[in-house]
Amino acid sequence: MAVTDEPLALTTGEDLVVDRPLGVFTRPQGGKGWRDWLSTVDHKKIGIMYGVAAMFFFVVGGIEALLIRLQLAAPDGQILSADVYNQVFTMHGVTMVFLFIMPLAAAFANYLIPLQIGARDVAFPRLNALSFWVWLSGAIFLNTSWIVGGGGADCGWFCYSPNSGLAFSPSHGVDFYALGLQIAGIASLVSAINLIVTCLNMRAPGMSLFRMPVLTWMLLVTQFLLLFAIPVITVALFLLMFDRLFDAQFFNPEAGADPLLWQHLFWIFGHPEVYIIILPAFGVVSEIIPTFSRKPIFGYSFMVFSGIAIGFMGWGVWAHHMFVSGIGPLSVWAFSMSTMFIAVPTGVKILNWLATMWGGKLRFTTAMLFAVGTVAMFTIGGLSGVTHALAPADTQQTDTYYIVAHFHYVIFGGGVLGLMGGLYFWWPKVFGFMLNETWGKVHFWTMLIGFNLTFGPMHVLGLQGMSRRIDTYSPGFGFAFWNLIATIGAFIIALSVVVFFLNVWKSRRDAPHLPAPGPDPWDARSLEWMIQSPAPEHNFDEVPIVESDDEWWHRKYGYDENKNVVRIATIEEATQKGDAVGVHLPAPSFWPLVVALGLPIIGYGLIFNLWLCVLGGALVGLGIYSWALEPVDDPDADHDHGHDDHDDDDDDDDGEGAEAEMADATAGAEEGAD
Amino acid sequence: MSDLFNVRRRGTGTGLLLALLLAGCASDAELDTLEPQSPVADEIWGLALPVFIIAGVVLVLVCGAVLWLSLKNRVATYEGDDEFPAQTAHNNPLELGWTIGPAILMAIIAVATSVVHFSINSVDEENAMPLTVHGETVDWEPTVVVVGQQWWWEYRYYLDGQQITTEQLADQRNLPPADIVTSGQFAIPTGQEVELIITSRDVIHSHWIPALNGKRDAVPGRFAPWKIEAYDPGVYFGQCTEFCGLSHSRMRMQTIALDPPDFQAWIDEQMAPATFDAELQAYVDAYRAGEPAAVDDEASAELRGLDVFAAQCASCHLVNGFNDMVNGEPYDGADVVSGSAPDLTHLMGRTTFAGGILNLYNEDGTVNVDDLARWIRDPNGIKENFADGLADGELPRGMPDRNLTERQIDDVIAFLITLGPDADGWMIDATEVE
Repeated sequence: MAVTDEPLALTTGEDLVVDRPLGVFTRPQGGKGWRDWLSTVDHKKIGIMYGVAAMFFFVVGGIEALLIRLQLAAPDGQILSADVYNQVFTMHGVTMVFLFIMPLAAAFANYLIPLQIGARDVAFPRLNALSFWVWLSGAIFLNTSWIVGGGGADCGWFCYSPNSGLAFSPSHGVDFYALGLQIAGIASLVSAINLIVTCLNMRAPGMSLFRMPVLTWMLLVTQFLLLFAIPVITVALFLLMFDRLFDAQFFNPEAGADPLLWQHLFWIFGHPEVYIIILPAFGVVSEIIPTFSRKPIFGYSFMVFSGIAIGFMGWGVWAHHMFVSGIGPLSVWAFSMSTMFIAVPTGVKILNWLATMWGGKLRFTTAMLFAVGTVAMFTIGGLSGVTHALAPADTQQTDTYYIVAHFHYVIFGGGVLGLMGGLYFWWPKVFGFMLNETWGKVHFWTMLIGFNLTFGPMHVLGLQGMSRRIDTYSPGFGFAFWNLIATIGAFIIALSVVVFFLNVWKSRRDAPHLPAPGPDPWDARSLEWMIQSPAPEHNFDEVPIVESDDEWWHRKYGYDENKNVVRIATIEEATQKGDAVGVHLPAPSFWPLVVALGLPIIGYGLIFNLWLCVLGGALVGLGIYSWALEPVDDPDADHDHGHDDHDDDDDDDDGEGAEAEMADATAGAEEGAD
Repeated sequence: MSDLFNVRRRGTGTGLLLALLLAGCASDAELDTLEPQSPVADEIWGLALPVFIIAGVVLVLVCGAVLWLSLKNRVATYEGDDEFPAQTAHNNPLELGWTIGPAILMAIIAVATSVVHFSINSVDEENAMPLTVHGETVDWEPTVVVVGQQWWWEYRYYLDGQQITTEQLADQRNLPPADIVTSGQFAIPTGQEVELIITSRDVIHSHWIPALNGKRDAVPGRFAPWKIEAYDPGVYFGQCTEFCGLSHSRMRMQTIALDPPDFQAWIDEQMAPATFDAELQAYVDAYRAGEPAAVDDEASAELRGLDVFAAQCASCHLVNGFNDMVNGEPYDGADVVSGSAPDLTHLMGRTTFAGGILNLYNEDGTVNVDDLARWIRDPNGIKENFADGLADGELPRGMPDRNLTERQIDDVIAFLITLGPDADGWMIDATEVE
């Protein structure tokens, strides 16, 4: 089946008698403007908000990075004091990891998972809104420590005990770190459960797990990693909070505590975190390269299983962050071995991307440039990773700039470049206009050059013996030249980010004068390109019935008797028109926002005055109870609610009873879930 | 840093090309990891170098393939192009091949890694060297206890021929009295494996002398065994590499490798208590008896300085022969967070101070009085030990500002210069390369 001949949903237009017996508990109507954004439960709007907020914190973390690079540009830097430098590099790490790249990946996950699996929304739309608002409140809370906490946390993003204790970090920065990340962790956990359930339960009929696009697969693996990793760091942060606020002794060596407890807890979270950051970008690259090679992804099942393998093996390598901590030669050896072999599934991915490009017709759009750049840059990061999987070599490399170079090649070269490519790729789908390709290419090349100038020299600096996290260095160690180069590189990266924002502004301004991109501007392969751009609020007019992987591509193309690809339908013919009306969608709600507002107030209360906790707790309680009590729908939609709009499926010409049942199940899940 | 010592470099022929490639203008990099000067560092580099080369080859192959495919297969547009490339979606033998192939490569590297790993973590149990201690020859199992604290390193030598055990070290704030206590710099005999027992008094630090071995964390409550050795006499630089708070970047150290006879001479010097001239000795004797004498303005600068030291410095800094035993009470630790301050008995036998960041001697061999005065005048300005002022009862994490007058500072420096041997003598000759 291809094109919807009639909307599945109800027609509207009837006059409804609106009855609002519950007053405050009635669901808001959505409406326009800020009210709409504050109360939305639409996964697409939530995805956009994640993206916008993430880019904001990218700028914040970027400014912190520039301060670091200014300080280190020359020996004996005087721009920041040691104290401020320590706060700035700590907050740079925390911001970039928790407030930029994780939420940017969450933006892709929220926006694209439902579209790629043919669903109308995530499984729990209000929980989805809760995730975003809780994350945002945690992010803002964390950064308010600059204003009310006596500065940012100064213990490094890894915040090793006992340096994170009150005696060694007397300002409130670490308290904000411990509480802010706990709040943000709630968001990640809720979101992980939501998206896992969505992937498992909300797939369109025929969309078996092994027909899911690689991006959705990688995001699913990421959600499982979050689900198991976040509780571990939450435990650690909770203990740290008790140490600092209530005189507990979990990490105090004076009282017999072992400081390595924190390190184990942190890195059992911290290493899977690396894959939480990198797997979404792998997924994005796995969508872009096939599209612009005009070929299917090479070795779909190897790609999926290597992602799963990375997900599993990622739990068995954490102590490679602790090779010199004194955990004993046997432990070090075991983790050294496991770390080497995690390179194998990662290598598989790189070679499969190359095989996808092999014999393909490569069209170098900006998105493709970023994707291919990701492959090359991540390879550098992966290979330097192998060199310190060797525990003996790591004793020389760890805690030097060699490591800083390594993980920036992984996280920036892999994660950020990949997701940047994703922004260019899906921008027309999300906003209905294309980003300017010329400016995009300028963005790519400046970013690539700046990136390599910044982090390439750090390999040399590390091997020359420059320690990490030092606020200054003396002349005479040979560090000056490459540090200056790195600083120049950092400003080129900053320039590239400015180019990106200018591109967004310019492209938006020019959009009305240019032809609309249409639903499928790239001749892409997965279901999100089957619907109009920007994606209509209800996503699919009719939930598509999936018959193969790369479903959308197969609706456009078939094979002739010689196995040559032939077009069987134009984009125009194959797309959904987006004209369905009255599709039953989850109703908006303000309560997730209310719950999220309560959490930072509890945080401030724990730090400054416990009475504030009562206020914050009351808000959270009010939010949760009102959430539970508000009706499932707004009164207008209530009329439609009992009607099963998917009954019509039975009349569909394909007559596949089983698939129709699945459609019902999908619809049921949608309705029951909220 | 210190130009006093010309650090000796052994040529590493194999690593030379890569070192040049990677280190660029690093010829004067004293912390360089690519120029090993000891058996352990050689072993590490011998493992790392081939892996660097393998990684480099893989890098060139992958990035070359990316570049080649990008140039060869590029098209400007798909518009009007109805011809699709072969839609190859998988090739299982190929994919199995590039799963198993890298796995085999990694397995080979893993075997080599295992061999080196267990080798550098082994300790030579039979290791011993004869030393003359108090006129008697003992078999010293070369061991140095390394204690990190914010933001300097203490080195403790136990020379009685009994191996120090970690049980004896369990209370890091109250370690058993050592024969030699020094800070910022420690001496080892060349050609001799020396075991380090690394621990900390406050937060986690990491001890790293790149030319001699990799790093090992100093964790409070734990004892990290590690070893160090140098082929040749010389001064080998190090830097704390685990972020340890405010002044992490100002925590440095040096290993001084001496030929065994020179090492014995160093031991002899360090073992002796401080010696004073008659004027100072009278003050010292009264002080030790618990009845400090008054010092008037007419006294020598050294004596006035000793008086200032007694009033302002002696509650933290130990000088053996002076405040180690007062009124029958042994010295009992510093009023700083770590509970310890550098032992100054042989201060002038070192070449750096303030946690290895300032030179004690000028290039011409005279004492660096300017930096000593700067340090005493405003320690927090040179090495921050608190950020926002100290709360009531909060202990400083480093040397506090004692608000000395300029004259008091000059006097106390005059006294400090009397402590220990002049390092601008034999030790520099012993470490210098001909």
